Amino acid sequence: MSPTAWGWLVLLFPLLGAAVISAGWNRWPARTAGWLGTLAIALSFVCSVGALLSLLGRDPAHREVVSTLWSYAVSSGVDGKLQILVDPISVFMILVVSGVSTLIHLYSVSYMKGDRGFVRYFAYLNYFVLSMLVLVLAGNFILLIVGWAFVGAASYMLISFWYRRSTATGAGIKAFVINVVGDVGLVLGTFFIFRHTGTVQFLQTFSQIHHVFRVDSTDLVAGCLLFLVGAFAKSAQVPLHTWLPDAMEGPTPVSSLIHAATMVTAGVYLIVRLHPLFELAPTAAEVGAIVGCATLLIAGSIGLVVVDIKRVIAYSTMSQIGYMIMGAAAGAYSGALFHLMTHAFFKALLFMAAGSIIGAMAGDQSLDRMSGFRKAMPFTFLCFIVGGLALSGIPPFSGWVSKDDVIGYTFHRGGIYPILGVGGELGALITGMYTFRMIFRAFFGAPSPEAVELQHGHLAHAEVPRNPMTGEEEDTDVGFPGPEHVIAEREWPMKVAMSLLALGALAAGVIQLPGVDHVISTFLSPAFTGSKLFHHDPSTGTAWIGLIVTPIVGLVGIVTAYRLYIAAPGSSKRLQERLAPVHTFLYNKWYFDELIDIVVVRPALLVGRLAESVLERIVIGGGVTGGVTGSVRAVSAGVRRAQTGLLRLYAAAVILGLSAIALYFLIVSS
Amino acid sequence: MTLSILIWLPLALAFIGAQLDEPWVGRFTAVTSLAPLGIAIDYMVRFKSGAGGLQFVQDHVWIGSLGIHYKLALDGLNMTLVLLTTVLFSLSLFWSAARSEIERPRMYYFWFGLAESAVLGAFCAQDVILFVAFFDLMLVPFYFLVGAWGTGERRRATIKMVIYTMVGSFLMLVAAVAAGVLASNQNGTPIEFTLSALSHLHLSHTSQDWLFLCFAAAFLVKMPLVPLHGWLADAYKSMPIPALAVFSGLLSKVAAYGFLKIAIPLFPYAARHYQTLMLLIALVSILWATALAFTTADSRLVIAYSSVAQLAFITLGIFSLRPEGAQGALLQMVNHGIVTAGAFFVVAALAARCGGSEKLADMGGIAFRAPVLASLFLIVAFATLAMPGSANFIGEFMILLGVFKAQLAISVIAFLGVIGAAVYALRLFITSMHNRVGRGVASPGEVKLAEAVAIVPLVIVILVLAFYPQFVLTRSQASSRVALAPAAAVAVAGSASATTASVHP
Repeated sequence: MSPTAWGWLVLLFPLLGAAVISAGWNRWPARTAGWLGTLAIALSFVCSVGALLSLLGRDPAHREVVSTLWSYAVSSGVDGKLQILVDPISVFMILVVSGVSTLIHLYSVSYMKGDRGFVRYFAYLNYFVLSMLVLVLAGNFILLIVGWAFVGAASYMLISFWYRRSTATGAGIKAFVINVVGDVGLVLGTFFIFRHTGTVQFLQTFSQIHHVFRVDSTDLVAGCLLFLVGAFAKSAQVPLHTWLPDAMEGPTPVSSLIHAATMVTAGVYLIVRLHPLFELAPTAAEVGAIVGCATLLIAGSIGLVVVDIKRVIAYSTMSQIGYMIMGAAAGAYSGALFHLMTHAFFKALLFMAAGSIIGAMAGDQSLDRMSGFRKAMPFTFLCFIVGGLALSGIPPFSGWVSKDDVIGYTFHRGGIYPILGVGGELGALITGMYTFRMIFRAFFGAPSPEAVELQHGHLAHAEVPRNPMTGEEEDTDVGFPGPEHVIAEREWPMKVAMSLLALGALAAGVIQLPGVDHVISTFLSPAFTGSKLFHHDPSTGTAWIGLIVTPIVGLVGIVTAYRLYIAAPGSSKRLQERLAPVHTFLYNKWYFDELIDIVVVRPALLVGRLAESVLERIVIGGGVTGGVTGSVRAVSAGVRRAQTGLLRLYAAAVILGLSAIALYFLIVSS
Repeated sequence: MTLSILIWLPLALAFIGAQLDEPWVGRFTAVTSLAPLGIAIDYMVRFKSGAGGLQFVQDHVWIGSLGIHYKLALDGLNMTLVLLTTVLFSLSLFWSAARSEIERPRMYYFWFGLAESAVLGAFCAQDVILFVAFFDLMLVPFYFLVGAWGTGERRRATIKMVIYTMVGSFLMLVAAVAAGVLASNQNGTPIEFTLSALSHLHLSHTSQDWLFLCFAAAFLVKMPLVPLHGWLADAYKSMPIPALAVFSGLLSKVAAYGFLKIAIPLFPYAARHYQTLMLLIALVSILWATALAFTTADSRLVIAYSSVAQLAFITLGIFSLRPEGAQGALLQMVNHGIVTAGAFFVVAALAARCGGSEKLADMGGIAFRAPVLASLFLIVAFATLAMPGSANFIGEFMILLGVFKAQLAISVIAFLGVIGAAVYALRLFITSMHNRVGRGVASPGEVKLAEAVAIVPLVIVILVLAFYPQFVLTRSQASSRVALAPAAAVAVAGSASATTASVHP
């Protein structure tokens, strides 16, 4: 079978899954919907492997295959078709997406079993995977934007999955609107490019641009900057990141799948997919790299002080995507995609493990209340350690190789990029600190009551289920989120999913070890034949210097966390007091929410209220309507003699006037 | 078969229906309304997509001495709109027939029949005077539907609506008559009112300017766009929901269609001359209506103002005077008709669960007891905000692309309306469906057959068009190019003269 036939099948299964699960929404017994959903995505993964094999069977020069189903929006010069592009980049992405998604579906079958929205959850989750696969397989800008918006919609539906919580619905609309800003960026960017190329298809665009643009042409830079707006909104980069921490309102597997492993990395995919444009617009690429670097530092610094365990991981996600964005913009395409993959493994793993510990805490997410879970939850602890070491870039874990692939490239690239590389190293230090701060606080120290209970074989239950964010009592009559919590230690599907991811987090690095092998870059290279930057890799020696230095930096971070939280407990409190202003600043997340509130939200509401109260009532109601009715009334008052109904009079006046004018013209004409 | 049968059949059926016993009128009218729908589908099947000219022409001299013809035809501009008309009327009638509480059903359904005939007539008319006649005839049934079956401040609503529309119509009639007369004077030809004849005659620039403005006034009132929308809030609040679905879904479309079919082809110079003005009116309308939609506390008005914003997008597309924009506008007309009607039916279903209240503050948390209704509403809400993947997105994409090429800045600012739509559509969905149960929610049951009968078909159409918006684009392509050709020629001539001017200062 051709790669594109596999590609269409990859899309078909999640579509069928979502449709079948929704169609039987009130009939599926027990966990059937969950297994159906998992099966659909697993089949999609199988087809992704099929696409991979089929693509590898082709000559490297012919590994970009396009297939069209039907015309979607073909008119007046726009050539939007329902078409997919199967090339090494998209195959790499569908493998990662469908693979990780399968495992998270499997995990969810257990994790969500007590939830009354079980079936709805899997319908949404299948729809999400479909959207994400559309996004990465799209063969033109229009379909890319469709996938782009679909993942946003799926993300919205899953963030406000527990829709009785006002915090969840608020977070949902926030995420959706910021993502619409990103969509607008993509659409406008497409306009700027389309204006010159006259096509929305990727391959045609890439073959055109060298004829219609020069390096840093205004419209090209504008278009690329707008694409970056889309990438920043989706990938939670500063200043469009504020929705991601709030998105943790969704069920934990959702955070794992959408807000860590797949959707939020779409911005990285976008830059890599559009690399011919960005290479021709180095100014825009530099902006992307700088923002990525700023995000990785800002998010890391916030991660140091946040106490909600899911939000620590969320800020860590932002920070790691900062690395990927920086790498993709700098030209480290295989490094960025490789880090995307390893990050999907270890971050999904960390979220799953966090879900397990939250289950043990009966829904509480605060690090302030967790401690000493090491003995009570050995498996979860192990997963946290594997994920944490991979995240901190410690050898031989996968993050070690992939992170340094990005950092090493920036030093080698020259220009402003080495400065950003220093930022990356600083980020590695912070990463070690916040990751192990979280692990030390949750798993070491004196066991919390819940941990003690668990050691005696009882899973803690909250007397009154409360919203972890507000402390508000949950609306239990609707039954979700369920009163039952689960932990990985007792559920084999969760254990299997986490074990496989842990394996990936542990060992995936070996496939791209400088000087040893380079599976990823060899596989990707046919998609980068025209790229100057792709083959601009640092030498093996230089790469190894980085591979030694960066983990040392990460270790320093871990040791610092050890000193603060284990060796000298209480010293973190003293440090907080000594650096109170800094702590307040970080604790308030650099005041980005407040800034957006003042700059965007409040003015918009003000304009709306002004429009309603002042303009609408006075200008339109009083001025225009009053003027029109007033003048008609004045005319009619002159005409009227008897007490006839107003309306009849207006009608008569109008008809009379009309006839007079019509008559006038007829006379003039004859 | 002629187009006359399609146009007058609804009225004839309404006459027959009015003779039946009261309990049967609704069912009879609803079921027989499938006949015009079937005829429209038949025309759609026989319609030749590639041709830009008129098809199925029926041409009789009406008033010979004045050159007025009774001329009907279909082309790419009105084909899908005619189909849309029969669909929306059918669904509104089924929705009405599923409710027994309608008073004086004979008259009620009679006005619906008349309304459908008038709208179909306005879409099919190929003579300016005939168009004006149908355009004014459209107002009559709605005047009675608001006045007699409306709620709330219906008297004030009817007065405002009638005055606004009458002033507009009056200006249009004057302009229509004048167009024929002036054309015959300036060209020395016998007086003619058919569009095909008028479009070949030359009109002086001054005449074009004021004639265009008169037509524009009538159309802008009917849509309505800012600042001529003063009648909208009251009229929309009072109108019974089925009437509102067709009123908002179709009558506003007649106005937008009028720009494309009459004002621009007949007055190409003026269309070019006032292009920026029209674009600015549309832009202001988008921002204004969006701001109102996300502050209003009334669920029905959210949809009403969103409707204004979308009509403004359509106007924006038309006055880009580019094929992309016009194509987008035509697609968006169909989309907007379906989505707005669907949204109004959903609002009615919400109000039915909140003891009749349409206030957002009374709503909330309905989704739990009505998951199917919530899913249907979510699809409608996503289509309303033109989420990519809906046909509405393709409409807006092409509209904004057209404007982008014509006036970059206006297009960029108009995107604010796209973002605003996300806010107000989701706000409406969340405040009614999610969060805790609202204080006014009395009977939060699942969607009933009487509601599904209109909402489900519309959602199906939304989904089908989402997969295949090309359906509309293919049919309108040739005709929209023909409609814009004169205005495009003006632009070419304009830039040519500008070049000559720069060469010979």
